[in-house]
Amino acid sequence: MEFKSDLFFGASTGNGRVLVVDDEPDIRKVVGMTLKKAGYDVLEAENGERAIEIINTGENRMMLDVVICDIRMPKINGIEAIAYFRSQYPRVPVIVLTGFPDTDMATSMLREGVVDYLVKPVEGEKLKAAVVRAMEQREIAHL
Amino acid sequence: MDVQAETPPVRQGVPTKVAILGAGRGGTALLDLLHQINTIEVVGIADRDPRAPGLQRARELNIQVALHAGDLIANHGVNLIMDVTGDPEMEQYIRARKRPDAEVLTGSASRVLWELVRYEAKLQAELFHAEKLAGIGSFAAGIAHDINNPLQLILGLAENLMDERDPDLVRAQARDIAEAVKRTSAICRDLTTYSRRATSLQPVTIPVNGKLDEALKIARYALSFHDVTVVKRYDAGPVVTGNPDELLHVFVNLITNAVQAMDRGGTLTLATSATDSAVLVTVSDTGRGIPPDSLPRIFDPFYTTKPPGKGTGLGLYNVKAVVNMMHGTIQVDTRVGEGSSFTITFPNSATAEKRP
Repeated sequence: MEFKSDLFFGASTGNGRVLVVDDEPDIRKVVGMTLKKAGYDVLEAENGERAIEIINTGENRMMLDVVICDIRMPKINGIEAIAYFRSQYPRVPVIVLTGFPDTDMATSMLREGVVDYLVKPVEGEKLKAAVVRAMEQREIAHL
Repeated sequence: MDVQAETPPVRQGVPTKVAILGAGRGGTALLDLLHQINTIEVVGIADRDPRAPGLQRARELNIQVALHAGDLIANHGVNLIMDVTGDPEMEQYIRARKRPDAEVLTGSASRVLWELVRYEAKLQAELFHAEKLAGIGSFAAGIAHDINNPLQLILGLAENLMDERDPDLVRAQARDIAEAVKRTSAICRDLTTYSRRATSLQPVTIPVNGKLDEALKIARYALSFHDVTVVKRYDAGPVVTGNPDELLHVFVNLITNAVQAMDRGGTLTLATSATDSAVLVTVSDTGRGIPPDSLPRIFDPFYTTKPPGKGTGLGLYNVKAVVNMMHGTIQVDTRVGEGSSFTITFPNSATAEKRP
Protein backbone atom coordinates (compact mmCIF):
# COMPACT_ATOMS: atom_id res chain seq x y z
CA MET A 1 0.00 0.00 0.00
CA GLU A 2 1.24 3.47 -0.95
CA PHE A 3 1.07 6.71 0.95
CA LYS A 4 1.19 9.92 -0.97
CA SER A 5 3.90 12.10 0.46
CA ASP A 6 1.59 15.11 0.75
CA LEU A 7 -0.41 13.25 3.38
CA PHE A 8 2.66 13.59 5.57
CA PHE A 9 4.26 16.74 4.23
CA GLY A 10 1.28 18.65 2.96
CA ALA A 11 2.75 21.95 4.10
CA SER A 12 6.07 21.69 2.26
CA THR A 13 5.04 20.09 -0.99
CA GLY A 14 2.13 19.66 -3.29
CA ASN A 15 2.46 16.90 -5.75
CA GLY A 16 5.27 14.65 -4.64
CA ARG A 17 9.00 14.25 -4.17
CA VAL A 18 11.36 14.05 -7.16
CA LEU A 19 15.06 13.22 -7.12
CA VAL A 20 17.01 14.90 -9.94
CA VAL A 21 20.31 13.13 -10.69
CA ASP A 22 22.66 15.03 -13.02
CA ASP A 23 26.34 15.96 -12.84
CA GLU A 24 25.65 19.40 -14.31
CA PRO A 25 24.65 21.93 -11.62
CA ASP A 26 22.93 23.97 -14.36
CA ILE A 27 20.62 21.09 -15.18
CA ARG A 28 19.79 20.37 -11.55
CA LYS A 29 19.08 24.05 -11.06
CA VAL A 30 16.81 24.52 -14.04
CA VAL A 31 14.97 21.18 -13.78
CA GLY A 32 14.58 21.78 -10.06
CA MET A 33 13.21 25.25 -10.72
CA THR A 34 10.58 23.94 -13.17
CA LEU A 35 9.44 21.19 -10.82
CA LYS A 36 9.41 23.33 -7.68
CA LYS A 37 7.20 25.87 -9.45
CA ALA A 38 4.85 23.00 -10.24
CA GLY A 39 4.64 22.16 -6.56
CA TYR A 40 7.08 19.26 -6.30
CA ASP A 41 9.55 18.74 -3.51
CA VAL A 42 12.91 18.38 -5.29
CA LEU A 43 16.06 16.59 -4.14
CA GLU A 44 19.32 16.74 -6.08
CA ALA A 45 22.24 14.36 -6.59
CA GLU A 46 25.36 15.04 -8.66
CA ASN A 47 26.10 11.41 -9.47
CA GLY A 48 24.76 7.87 -9.11
CA GLU A 49 26.59 7.23 -5.87
CA ARG A 50 25.04 10.27 -4.20
CA ALA A 51 21.62 9.35 -5.64
CA ILE A 52 21.80 5.89 -4.03
CA GLU A 53 22.80 7.49 -0.72
CA ILE A 54 19.83 9.85 -0.90
CA ILE A 55 17.26 7.20 -1.77
CA ASN A 56 18.51 5.15 1.19
CA THR A 57 18.26 8.05 3.62
CA GLY A 58 15.46 8.15 6.20
CA GLU A 59 12.02 8.85 4.87
CA ASN A 60 13.20 8.94 1.24
CA ARG A 61 12.99 5.14 1.26
CA MET A 62 9.24 5.59 1.44
CA MET A 63 8.64 9.10 0.22
CA LEU A 64 10.47 9.33 -3.05
CA ASP A 65 7.97 9.43 -5.92
CA VAL A 66 10.04 9.79 -9.09
CA VAL A 67 13.72 9.73 -10.08
CA ILE A 68 14.92 11.79 -13.06
CA CYS A 69 18.33 10.49 -14.02
CA ASP A 70 21.11 11.45 -16.47
CA ILE A 71 23.23 8.71 -18.11
CA ARG A 72 26.74 10.16 -18.45
CA MET A 73 27.92 10.87 -14.92
CA PRO A 74 31.05 10.34 -12.81
CA LYS A 75 31.42 7.69 -10.08
CA ILE A 76 28.36 5.52 -10.51
CA ASN A 77 26.89 6.38 -13.90
CA GLY A 78 23.21 6.54 -14.84
CA ILE A 79 22.99 2.98 -16.15
CA GLU A 80 24.41 1.52 -12.95
CA ALA A 81 22.32 3.79 -10.74
CA ILE A 82 19.13 2.94 -12.63
CA ALA A 83 19.86 -0.78 -12.35
CA TYR A 84 20.14 -0.27 -8.58
CA PHE A 85 16.88 1.70 -8.33
CA ARG A 86 15.04 -0.88 -10.41
CA SER A 87 16.21 -3.78 -8.27
CA GLN A 88 16.03 -2.15 -4.82
CA TYR A 89 13.15 0.29 -5.29
CA PRO A 90 11.01 -1.16 -8.11
CA ARG A 91 8.03 0.96 -7.02
CA VAL A 92 9.87 4.23 -7.80
CA PRO A 93 9.50 5.15 -11.49
CA VAL A 94 12.64 6.35 -13.25
CA ILE A 95 12.74 8.90 -16.08
CA VAL A 96 15.94 9.21 -18.11
CA LEU A 97 16.94 12.77 -19.04
CA THR A 98 20.02 12.67 -21.25
CA GLY A 99 21.95 14.92 -23.59
CA PHE A 100 22.52 12.18 -26.10
CA PRO A 101 19.72 10.94 -28.36
CA ASP A 102 20.57 7.24 -28.71
CA THR A 103 17.79 4.88 -29.80
CA ASP A 104 19.68 1.73 -28.78
CA MET A 105 20.22 3.16 -25.33
CA ALA A 106 16.59 4.30 -25.10
CA THR A 107 15.33 0.83 -26.06
CA SER A 108 17.51 -0.95 -23.55
CA MET A 109 16.62 1.52 -20.79
CA LEU A 110 12.89 1.15 -21.44
CA ARG A 111 13.39 -2.62 -21.31
CA GLU A 112 15.02 -2.13 -17.92
CA GLY A 113 11.75 -0.62 -16.74
CA VAL A 114 12.49 3.06 -17.20
CA VAL A 115 9.16 4.80 -17.77
CA ASP A 116 10.36 7.59 -20.06
CA TYR A 117 13.45 8.55 -22.05
CA LEU A 118 13.73 12.30 -22.55
CA VAL A 119 16.42 14.05 -24.57
CA LYS A 120 17.67 17.45 -23.51
CA PRO A 121 16.63 20.12 -24.12
CA VAL A 122 13.14 19.23 -22.96
CA GLU A 123 10.37 21.79 -22.47
CA GLY A 124 9.07 22.34 -18.96
CA GLU A 125 5.57 21.22 -19.94
CA LYS A 126 6.84 17.93 -21.36
CA LEU A 127 9.00 17.31 -18.33
CA LYS A 128 6.09 17.92 -15.95
CA ALA A 129 3.80 15.74 -18.08
CA ALA A 130 6.38 12.94 -17.91
CA VAL A 131 6.54 13.22 -14.12
CA VAL A 132 2.73 13.18 -13.83
CA ARG A 133 2.59 10.15 -16.14
CA ALA A 134 5.27 8.35 -14.15
CA MET A 135 3.39 8.89 -10.92
CA GLU A 136 0.12 7.69 -12.46
CA GLN A 137 1.80 4.52 -13.71
CA ARG A 138 3.14 3.92 -10.24
CA GLU A 139 -0.33 4.34 -8.74
CA ILE A 140 -1.82 1.91 -11.27
CA ALA A 141 0.90 -0.62 -10.68
CA HIS A 142 0.14 -0.61 -6.96
CA LEU A 143 -3.62 -0.62 -7.03
CA MET B 1 57.74 -6.19 -17.00
CA ASP B 2 58.77 -2.82 -18.32
CA VAL B 3 58.58 -2.90 -22.08
CA GLN B 4 60.03 -0.27 -24.32
CA ALA B 5 59.27 -0.05 -27.98
CA GLU B 6 60.66 2.31 -30.57
CA THR B 7 58.71 0.48 -33.32
CA PRO B 8 60.98 -2.54 -33.42
CA PRO B 9 61.67 -3.53 -37.01
CA VAL B 10 60.02 -6.71 -38.19
CA ARG B 11 62.57 -7.71 -40.82
CA GLN B 12 62.17 -10.75 -42.95
CA GLY B 13 65.25 -11.79 -44.86
CA VAL B 14 68.01 -9.35 -45.63
CA PRO B 15 67.06 -5.72 -46.09
CA THR B 16 67.92 -3.87 -49.28
CA LYS B 17 70.77 -1.50 -48.54
CA VAL B 18 70.18 1.86 -50.16
CA ALA B 19 72.43 4.90 -50.59
CA ILE B 20 70.82 8.21 -51.47
CA LEU B 21 72.82 10.76 -53.45
CA GLY B 22 71.48 14.28 -53.21
CA ALA B 23 70.06 15.66 -49.97
CA GLY B 24 67.87 18.44 -51.34
CA ARG B 25 64.08 18.24 -51.31
CA GLY B 26 63.98 15.03 -53.35
CA GLY B 27 66.63 13.26 -51.27
CA THR B 28 65.01 14.33 -48.02
CA ALA B 29 61.59 13.09 -49.09
CA LEU B 30 63.11 9.76 -50.19
CA LEU B 31 64.94 9.45 -46.89
CA ASP B 32 61.77 10.19 -44.93
CA LEU B 33 59.87 7.54 -46.83
CA LEU B 34 62.48 4.80 -47.12
CA HIS B 35 63.64 4.83 -43.51
CA GLN B 36 60.11 3.91 -42.46
CA ILE B 37 60.10 0.77 -44.58
CA ASN B 38 61.27 -2.28 -42.68
CA THR B 39 62.73 -4.12 -45.66
CA ILE B 40 64.94 -1.19 -46.61
CA GLU B 41 68.02 0.00 -44.78
CA VAL B 42 69.23 3.45 -45.74
CA VAL B 43 72.98 3.15 -45.21
CA GLY B 44 73.72 6.78 -45.90
CA ILE B 45 73.00 9.98 -47.78
CA ALA B 46 75.49 12.23 -49.55
CA ASP B 47 75.50 15.82 -50.75
CA ARG B 48 78.39 18.12 -51.44
CA ASP B 49 76.51 20.97 -49.76
CA PRO B 50 77.02 20.46 -46.01
CA ARG B 51 73.87 22.50 -45.29
CA ALA B 52 71.58 20.36 -47.45
CA PRO B 53 68.36 19.64 -45.49
CA GLY B 54 68.55 15.88 -46.00
CA LEU B 55 71.89 15.70 -44.19
CA GLN B 56 70.44 17.30 -41.07
CA ARG B 57 67.46 14.93 -41.25
CA ALA B 58 69.81 11.95 -41.60
CA ARG B 59 71.76 12.98 -38.49
CA GLU B 60 68.49 13.07 -36.54
CA LEU B 61 67.71 9.57 -37.73
CA ASN B 62 71.25 8.34 -36.95
CA ILE B 63 71.88 7.65 -40.62
CA GLN B 64 75.36 8.13 -42.01
CA VAL B 65 76.06 11.42 -43.76
CA ALA B 66 78.72 11.95 -46.43
CA LEU B 67 79.94 14.94 -48.38
CA HIS B 68 81.44 12.74 -51.11
CA ALA B 69 79.29 10.25 -52.99
CA GLY B 70 82.33 8.03 -53.54
CA ASP B 71 82.74 7.25 -49.83
CA LEU B 72 79.20 6.02 -49.65
CA ILE B 73 78.70 3.99 -52.79
CA ALA B 74 81.94 2.06 -52.64
CA ASN B 75 81.32 0.70 -49.16
CA HIS B 76 78.69 -0.64 -46.80
CA GLY B 77 77.50 -3.39 -49.15
CA VAL B 78 75.14 -1.01 -50.94
CA ASN B 79 72.62 -2.87 -53.15
CA LEU B 80 70.86 0.14 -54.64
CA ILE B 81 72.10 3.64 -55.34
CA MET B 82 69.43 6.29 -55.76
CA ASP B 83 70.73 9.38 -57.46
CA VAL B 84 68.49 12.40 -57.13
CA THR B 85 71.19 15.01 -57.69
CA GLY B 86 69.96 15.77 -61.21
CA ASP B 87 73.64 16.08 -62.12
CA PRO B 88 74.40 14.34 -65.48
CA GLU B 89 78.05 13.82 -64.53
CA MET B 90 77.07 11.98 -61.39
CA GLU B 91 75.83 9.00 -63.37
CA GLN B 92 79.26 8.40 -64.93
CA TYR B 93 80.90 8.89 -61.59
CA ILE B 94 78.66 6.30 -59.92
CA ARG B 95 79.17 3.71 -62.62
CA ALA B 96 82.92 4.07 -62.23
CA ARG B 97 82.92 3.76 -58.45
CA LYS B 98 80.11 1.40 -57.48
CA ARG B 99 80.39 -2.27 -56.63
CA PRO B 100 79.60 -4.38 -59.69
CA ASP B 101 76.44 -5.94 -58.26
CA ALA B 102 74.92 -2.65 -57.04
CA GLU B 103 72.01 -1.29 -59.03
CA VAL B 104 71.65 2.37 -59.90
CA LEU B 105 68.54 4.46 -60.19
CA THR B 106 69.27 7.75 -61.90
CA GLY B 107 68.14 10.26 -64.49
CA SER B 108 64.48 10.03 -65.52
CA ALA B 109 63.94 6.82 -63.52
CA SER B 110 64.80 8.65 -60.32
CA ARG B 111 62.65 11.55 -61.46
CA VAL B 112 59.65 9.19 -61.73
CA LEU B 113 60.47 7.79 -58.30
CA TRP B 114 60.55 11.30 -56.87
CA GLU B 115 57.09 11.91 -58.35
CA LEU B 116 55.85 8.71 -56.72
CA VAL B 117 57.25 9.77 -53.39
CA ARG B 118 55.51 13.11 -53.71
CA TYR B 119 52.29 11.33 -54.59
CA GLU B 120 52.70 9.10 -51.55
CA ALA B 121 53.12 12.18 -49.37
CA LYS B 122 49.84 13.50 -50.75
CA LEU B 123 48.09 10.20 -49.98
CA GLN B 124 49.56 10.32 -46.49
CA ALA B 125 48.01 13.77 -46.00
CA GLU B 126 44.65 12.46 -47.22
CA LEU B 127 44.85 9.49 -44.89
CA PHE B 128 45.68 11.80 -42.03
CA HIS B 129 42.62 13.91 -42.72
CA ALA B 130 40.38 10.87 -43.18
CA GLU B 131 41.44 9.44 -39.84
CA LYS B 132 40.77 12.75 -38.14
CA LEU B 133 37.28 12.94 -39.63
CA ALA B 134 36.56 9.32 -38.67
CA GLY B 135 37.59 10.19 -35.13
CA ILE B 136 35.22 13.13 -35.05
CA GLY B 137 32.35 10.68 -35.52
CA SER B 138 33.08 9.37 -32.04
CA PHE B 139 32.75 12.93 -30.75
CA ALA B 140 28.99 12.82 -31.36
CA ALA B 141 28.06 11.69 -27.85
CA GLY B 142 30.36 14.20 -26.21
CA ILE B 143 29.24 17.07 -28.39
CA ALA B 144 25.56 16.22 -27.87
CA HIS B 145 26.16 16.21 -24.12
CA ASP B 146 28.08 19.48 -24.16
CA ILE B 147 25.59 21.28 -26.38
CA ASN B 148 22.33 19.89 -25.03
CA ASN B 149 23.14 20.66 -21.41
CA PRO B 150 23.47 24.41 -21.98
CA LEU B 151 20.45 24.24 -24.30
CA GLN B 152 18.43 22.72 -21.44
CA LEU B 153 19.54 25.57 -19.22
CA ILE B 154 18.66 28.17 -21.86
CA LEU B 155 15.23 26.64 -22.48
CA GLY B 156 14.41 26.25 -18.79
CA LEU B 157 15.47 29.79 -17.93
CA ALA B 158 13.65 31.29 -20.92
CA GLU B 159 10.45 29.47 -19.93
CA ASN B 160 10.84 30.75 -16.40
CA LEU B 161 11.47 34.31 -17.56
CA MET B 162 8.04 34.41 -19.23
CA ASP B 163 6.42 34.89 -15.83
CA GLU B 164 9.33 35.91 -13.60
CA ARG B 165 8.50 39.16 -11.81
CA ASP B 166 11.59 39.76 -9.69
CA PRO B 167 13.77 42.17 -11.73
CA ASP B 168 16.98 40.92 -10.07
CA LEU B 169 16.16 37.33 -11.03
CA VAL B 170 15.26 38.39 -14.55
CA ARG B 171 18.65 40.06 -14.96
CA ALA B 172 20.54 37.14 -13.42
CA GLN B 173 18.78 34.56 -15.56
CA ALA B 174 19.17 36.58 -18.76
CA ARG B 175 22.89 36.76 -17.98
CA ASP B 176 23.00 32.98 -17.44
CA ILE B 177 21.36 32.49 -20.82
CA ALA B 178 23.91 34.72 -22.55
CA GLU B 179 26.77 32.83 -20.87
CA ALA B 180 25.31 29.47 -21.90
CA VAL B 181 25.02 30.63 -25.51
CA LYS B 182 28.68 31.70 -25.49
CA ARG B 183 29.77 28.33 -24.09
CA THR B 184 27.78 26.50 -26.74
CA SER B 185 29.18 28.51 -29.62
CA ALA B 186 32.73 28.01 -28.31
CA ILE B 187 32.25 24.25 -28.77
CA CYS B 188 31.40 24.71 -32.44
CA ARG B 189 34.34 27.05 -32.92
CA ASP B 190 36.83 24.63 -31.34
CA LEU B 191 35.62 21.72 -33.40
CA THR B 192 35.57 23.63 -36.66
CA THR B 193 39.19 24.60 -36.09
CA TYR B 194 40.08 21.02 -35.31
CA SER B 195 38.28 19.40 -38.24
CA ARG B 196 39.71 21.65 -40.94
CA ARG B 197 42.28 20.23 -43.31
CA ALA B 198 45.79 20.64 -41.97
CA THR B 199 47.23 23.54 -43.91
CA SER B 200 50.47 22.81 -45.70
CA LEU B 201 52.05 26.12 -44.80
CA GLN B 202 55.70 26.52 -43.97
CA PRO B 203 56.53 25.07 -40.55
CA VAL B 204 56.05 27.58 -37.76
CA THR B 205 57.13 27.83 -34.14
CA ILE B 206 54.54 26.24 -31.87
CA PRO B 207 54.38 26.73 -28.09
CA VAL B 208 53.96 23.17 -26.85
CA ASN B 209 52.11 23.83 -23.58
CA GLY B 210 49.38 25.86 -25.27
CA LYS B 211 48.93 23.19 -27.93
CA LEU B 212 48.58 20.47 -25.25
CA ASP B 213 45.93 22.54 -23.46
CA GLU B 214 44.05 23.01 -26.71
CA ALA B 215 44.19 19.26 -27.38
CA LEU B 216 42.89 18.54 -23.89
CA LYS B 217 39.88 20.76 -24.56
CA ILE B 218 39.15 18.97 -27.85
CA ALA B 219 39.59 15.53 -26.26
CA ARG B 220 37.03 16.43 -23.60
CA TYR B 221 34.43 16.63 -26.35
CA ALA B 222 35.43 13.22 -27.62
CA LEU B 223 35.09 11.33 -24.38
CA SER B 224 34.02 11.39 -20.84
CA PHE B 225 36.80 12.46 -18.46
CA HIS B 226 34.72 11.38 -15.48
CA ASP B 227 36.93 10.08 -12.70
CA VAL B 228 40.07 11.05 -14.65
CA THR B 229 42.35 13.46 -12.83
CA VAL B 230 44.42 15.63 -15.14
CA VAL B 231 47.89 16.57 -13.92
CA LYS B 232 50.02 19.06 -15.86
CA ARG B 233 53.76 19.21 -15.37
CA TYR B 234 54.88 21.87 -17.80
CA ASP B 235 58.31 23.42 -18.16
CA ALA B 236 58.04 27.10 -18.99
CA GLY B 237 57.75 27.91 -22.67
CA PRO B 238 59.14 25.01 -24.78
CA VAL B 239 58.60 25.48 -28.53
CA VAL B 240 58.85 23.13 -31.50
CA THR B 241 58.74 23.68 -35.24
CA GLY B 242 56.05 22.19 -37.45
CA ASN B 243 52.44 22.36 -38.55
CA PRO B 244 50.25 23.43 -35.60
CA ASP B 245 47.13 21.62 -36.88
CA GLU B 246 49.03 18.36 -37.22
CA LEU B 247 50.64 18.68 -33.81
CA LEU B 248 47.22 19.38 -32.28
CA HIS B 249 45.94 16.17 -33.83
CA VAL B 250 48.93 14.22 -32.47
CA PHE B 251 48.21 15.44 -28.96
CA VAL B 252 44.44 14.81 -29.26
CA ASN B 253 45.20 11.26 -30.36
CA LEU B 254 47.56 10.53 -27.49
CA ILE B 255 45.23 12.09 -24.91
CA THR B 256 42.13 10.24 -26.14
CA ASN B 257 44.05 6.95 -26.19
CA ALA B 258 45.25 7.59 -22.64
CA VAL B 259 41.76 8.37 -21.34
CA GLN B 260 40.25 5.39 -23.17
CA ALA B 261 42.80 3.15 -21.46
CA MET B 262 41.38 4.23 -18.08
CA ASP B 263 37.78 2.93 -18.12
CA ARG B 264 37.65 2.97 -14.35
CA GLY B 265 39.26 6.37 -13.91
CA GLY B 266 42.84 7.28 -13.14
CA THR B 267 45.38 10.02 -13.72
CA LEU B 268 46.27 11.60 -17.03
CA THR B 269 49.63 13.34 -16.82
CA LEU B 270 50.76 15.83 -19.44
CA ALA B 271 54.40 16.80 -19.08
CA THR B 272 56.76 18.96 -21.09
CA SER B 273 60.43 19.62 -20.58
CA ALA B 274 63.26 21.14 -22.55
CA THR B 275 66.97 20.55 -22.72
CA ASP B 276 69.43 22.37 -24.97
CA SER B 277 68.93 19.90 -27.75
CA ALA B 278 65.44 18.49 -27.26
CA VAL B 279 61.87 19.19 -26.24
CA LEU B 280 60.16 16.27 -24.53
CA VAL B 281 56.39 15.84 -24.38
CA THR B 282 54.98 13.00 -22.30
CA VAL B 283 51.38 11.82 -22.17
CA SER B 284 50.91 9.20 -19.44
CA ASP B 285 47.96 7.28 -18.09
CA THR B 286 47.37 4.89 -15.22
CA GLY B 287 45.24 2.62 -17.37
CA ARG B 288 45.35 -0.96 -18.46
CA GLY B 289 48.68 -0.82 -20.34
CA ILE B 290 49.55 -2.41 -23.67
CA PRO B 291 49.93 -6.21 -23.80
CA PRO B 292 53.37 -7.37 -25.01
CA ASP B 293 51.91 -9.05 -28.12
CA SER B 294 50.28 -5.80 -29.27
CA LEU B 295 53.22 -3.57 -28.47
CA PRO B 296 55.33 -4.16 -31.61
CA ARG B 297 52.33 -3.33 -33.80
CA ILE B 298 50.81 -0.25 -32.23
CA PHE B 299 52.30 2.13 -34.81
CA ASP B 300 51.36 -0.10 -37.76
CA PRO B 301 48.67 1.24 -40.11
CA PHE B 302 45.21 -0.32 -39.63
CA TYR B 303 46.23 -2.12 -36.45
CA THR B 304 43.50 -1.71 -33.86
CA THR B 305 42.35 -3.55 -30.76
CA LYS B 306 39.02 -1.74 -30.77
CA PRO B 307 35.85 -3.47 -31.94
CA PRO B 308 35.00 -3.13 -35.66
CA GLY B 309 33.76 0.33 -36.51
CA LYS B 310 35.25 1.88 -33.37
CA GLY B 311 38.81 2.52 -34.41
CA THR B 312 40.50 3.14 -37.74
CA GLY B 313 43.85 1.74 -36.63
CA LEU B 314 45.41 4.87 -38.05
CA GLY B 315 45.72 7.00 -34.92
CA LEU B 316 49.19 6.09 -33.72
CA TYR B 317 50.35 5.50 -37.28
CA ASN B 318 49.56 9.13 -38.07
CA VAL B 319 51.02 10.28 -34.77
CA LYS B 320 54.33 8.66 -35.66
CA ALA B 321 54.25 10.01 -39.22
CA VAL B 322 53.73 13.58 -38.00
CA VAL B 323 56.36 13.24 -35.29
CA ASN B 324 58.88 11.91 -37.80
CA MET B 325 58.01 14.69 -40.20
CA MET B 326 58.81 17.14 -37.41
CA HIS B 327 62.16 15.38 -37.02
CA GLY B 328 61.13 13.85 -33.73
CA THR B 329 60.86 10.36 -32.32
CA ILE B 330 58.20 8.66 -30.23
CA GLN B 331 58.72 6.06 -27.55
CA VAL B 332 56.35 4.14 -25.31
CA ASP B 333 56.83 2.72 -21.83
CA THR B 334 54.04 0.47 -20.69
CA ARG B 335 53.19 -1.93 -17.91
CA VAL B 336 50.12 -4.11 -18.15
CA GLY B 337 47.68 -3.11 -15.43
CA GLU B 338 49.64 -0.01 -14.46
CA GLY B 339 49.56 2.29 -17.44
CA SER B 340 51.37 3.64 -20.47
CA SER B 341 53.51 6.63 -21.13
CA PHE B 342 54.19 8.03 -24.61
CA THR B 343 57.18 10.33 -24.89
CA ILE B 344 57.83 12.43 -27.98
CA THR B 345 61.30 13.90 -28.39
CA PHE B 346 61.49 16.89 -30.72
CA PRO B 347 64.59 18.85 -31.67
CA ASN B 348 64.58 22.05 -29.61
CA SER B 349 63.64 24.84 -32.04
CA ALA B 350 64.37 27.60 -29.57
CA THR B 351 68.00 26.61 -29.12
CA ALA B 352 68.42 25.48 -32.73
CA GLU B 353 67.64 28.99 -33.90
CA LYS B 354 70.25 30.47 -31.60
CA ARG B 355 72.96 28.22 -32.98
CA PRO B 356 75.20 29.82 -35.62
